[in-house]
Amino acid sequence: MLDLGGQTIVEKIVSRAVGKKVNAGELVGVLPIDKLYFNEVIGPPAIANFKDDFDPIFGEVSEKKKRMIPRKVFDPTRVCFIPDHTVPSCSVMVAKGINLMKSFANDQGIRMYKEGDGIEHTVVTEEGFVRPGEICVATDSHTDTVGAIGALGFGIGTTEAEYALAMGEIYDFFVPESYKFEINGDFKQGSCAKDLILHILGTLKEGGCSKHVAEYSGDTIRKMGMDGRFTICNMSVEMSARTAIVNPDQITFDFMEDIVRRHGELGAELEQSMRKVNLTRSDGNAEYSAMMRIEAGTIDPQVALPHSPANVKPASEMNDEVNVVFIGSCTNARHTDLLEAARILKGRRVSKNVNLIVIPASRLVYNWAMSEGILKIFADAGANIESSNCGPCFGKHMGVLSPGDRCVSTSNRNYRGRMGSPDAFIYLASPATAAATAIEGKIVDPRRYYN
Amino acid sequence: MSSIISGRVTIKFGDDINTDYIIPAYLLQEAWDKKFFADYAFERYSPTFVKTCRSNPDKDNVVLAGKNFGCGSSREQAVYAIQYNDVRAVVAESFPDIFFRNSINNGFCVVRVVSTSEFDLGDKLEIDLSNLVVRKADGTCEAKIMMNEEERDLLFSGGRLGQIKERLRKRLSATI
Repeated sequence: MLDLGGQTIVEKIVSRAVGKKVNAGELVGVLPIDKLYFNEVIGPPAIANFKDDFDPIFGEVSEKKKRMIPRKVFDPTRVCFIPDHTVPSCSVMVAKGINLMKSFANDQGIRMYKEGDGIEHTVVTEEGFVRPGEICVATDSHTDTVGAIGALGFGIGTTEAEYALAMGEIYDFFVPESYKFEINGDFKQGSCAKDLILHILGTLKEGGCSKHVAEYSGDTIRKMGMDGRFTICNMSVEMSARTAIVNPDQITFDFMEDIVRRHGELGAELEQSMRKVNLTRSDGNAEYSAMMRIEAGTIDPQVALPHSPANVKPASEMNDEVNVVFIGSCTNARHTDLLEAARILKGRRVSKNVNLIVIPASRLVYNWAMSEGILKIFADAGANIESSNCGPCFGKHMGVLSPGDRCVSTSNRNYRGRMGSPDAFIYLASPATAAATAIEGKIVDPRRYYN
Repeated sequence: MSSIISGRVTIKFGDDINTDYIIPAYLLQEAWDKKFFADYAFERYSPTFVKTCRSNPDKDNVVLAGKNFGCGSSREQAVYAIQYNDVRAVVAESFPDIFFRNSINNGFCVVRVVSTSEFDLGDKLEIDLSNLVVRKADGTCEAKIMMNEEERDLLFSGGRLGQIKERLRKRLSATI
């Protein structure tokens, strides 16, 4: 049948997965997934439940067939485990959970990353585990981050993840509508991807993109490096987007090719999967249920004030004193993030009133920052540098906030109590704004540190 | 699950209640038992929640909320924290997908209505899943539940586990 209707990248990815053309609003009973990954927050209970719920089925079928059917996940090569939230482990239960993951991974042939290898969404993209055009689910709401490479990533809960581990599927999936953000023009000096997504959040508010996938396009995005794309996709869940996505382009290819170079043995398979990428882009006549146009050149450095990521103001209008600054998290701890912060901190000292915590997003980023002298810039400025993990964003270790603390963080959520005491105050900002704030001990517009 | 869930509104929230408010992250890794989280529900946001729910002798709490209830983190422990405090249902104006799916997967009744403004604390409500309406037990007003049949069937069957077990059984049986 001839069908000239255009499709969004989301519709195309889902259509490919189910083997027929589907459009937004349609219900897909069974959606096969390409990849699944777990952190050490949800991995342990999901594994425990998997054993409780499904071991009897393996036993029952084995008995019927009169031979042993070993307990097996749907496909161990398409699953990985990444302990990242509170590592090195910060409690006995965390350590027990990680050990359960290790033994299950070993038993099943699943790839288990080590503590310090990095934050899950950074690891799966920079290691080539998730590829453009794939459908991927993981036990964390910031799985939307993988949309930056043109993959369709969804955060899921323990139960859905347990079932996906057994079956490689998710069920009763509504193909989501897309909300198109078209961003054009160049950023002002001192503004970046973080300021853009904070600006969008300030406009749409916390529920403003619900039920929709946020698709980012326009020449600002086309020129933006992967690190900025990760930041924007990452925070889309803060406006309750179903997930986020960027159409793959030359910058995506270059990013993937770099992975191929680093992992010789992955090369052939990766190249093959990349050949499909060209096909998976939104059509020019695809339908969007909402659209927003933004001129990047109008965006000043932004700050989200307590206690909502959508409570946004320009940094220039603020001078609140702070005593903690965190540069890290799955939002803003990659190469260009650390580079931008280091540029401002180079040759300067952190305010005597501020505890600056710097945590690179992965071992790869950490080692790069070490060899480039960037970690030394942070150390010389008086920062605490930690091995790669989610850090104080999770509110459990490495800088838990006390009542009255005021923290500027490059992470994604400043809900009351998110990083510790409900009587602490969290502000969200870019790495540049965070670095300038660390020097001055109060929130400032970072542009005074340029030129 | 019965097709009519009756309960009294004992808790009322506004918009954008996130899952960090429902259950703080520092607890998530400390237990694999779902019931553990109930003691800490809304610990940092609404410290009276647990006491209010548990002091209801009829154990038929209904939570009323505005838009975007359960936003933020995908932590399913947020569902358990509410569910295991004798809460029979959450009635709200919208739920983000992750929280909604987590709830239904656990057979926990979450229903969406256009507006919750007609309902208030103390109201006896009937959540009629057969006819997809929420009504005051005194018959003074009702609101249509926005839910599709698949979701309702899943709620009736108490979650998806039975269905998954059957699929797995079939798949394994088909292997040579």
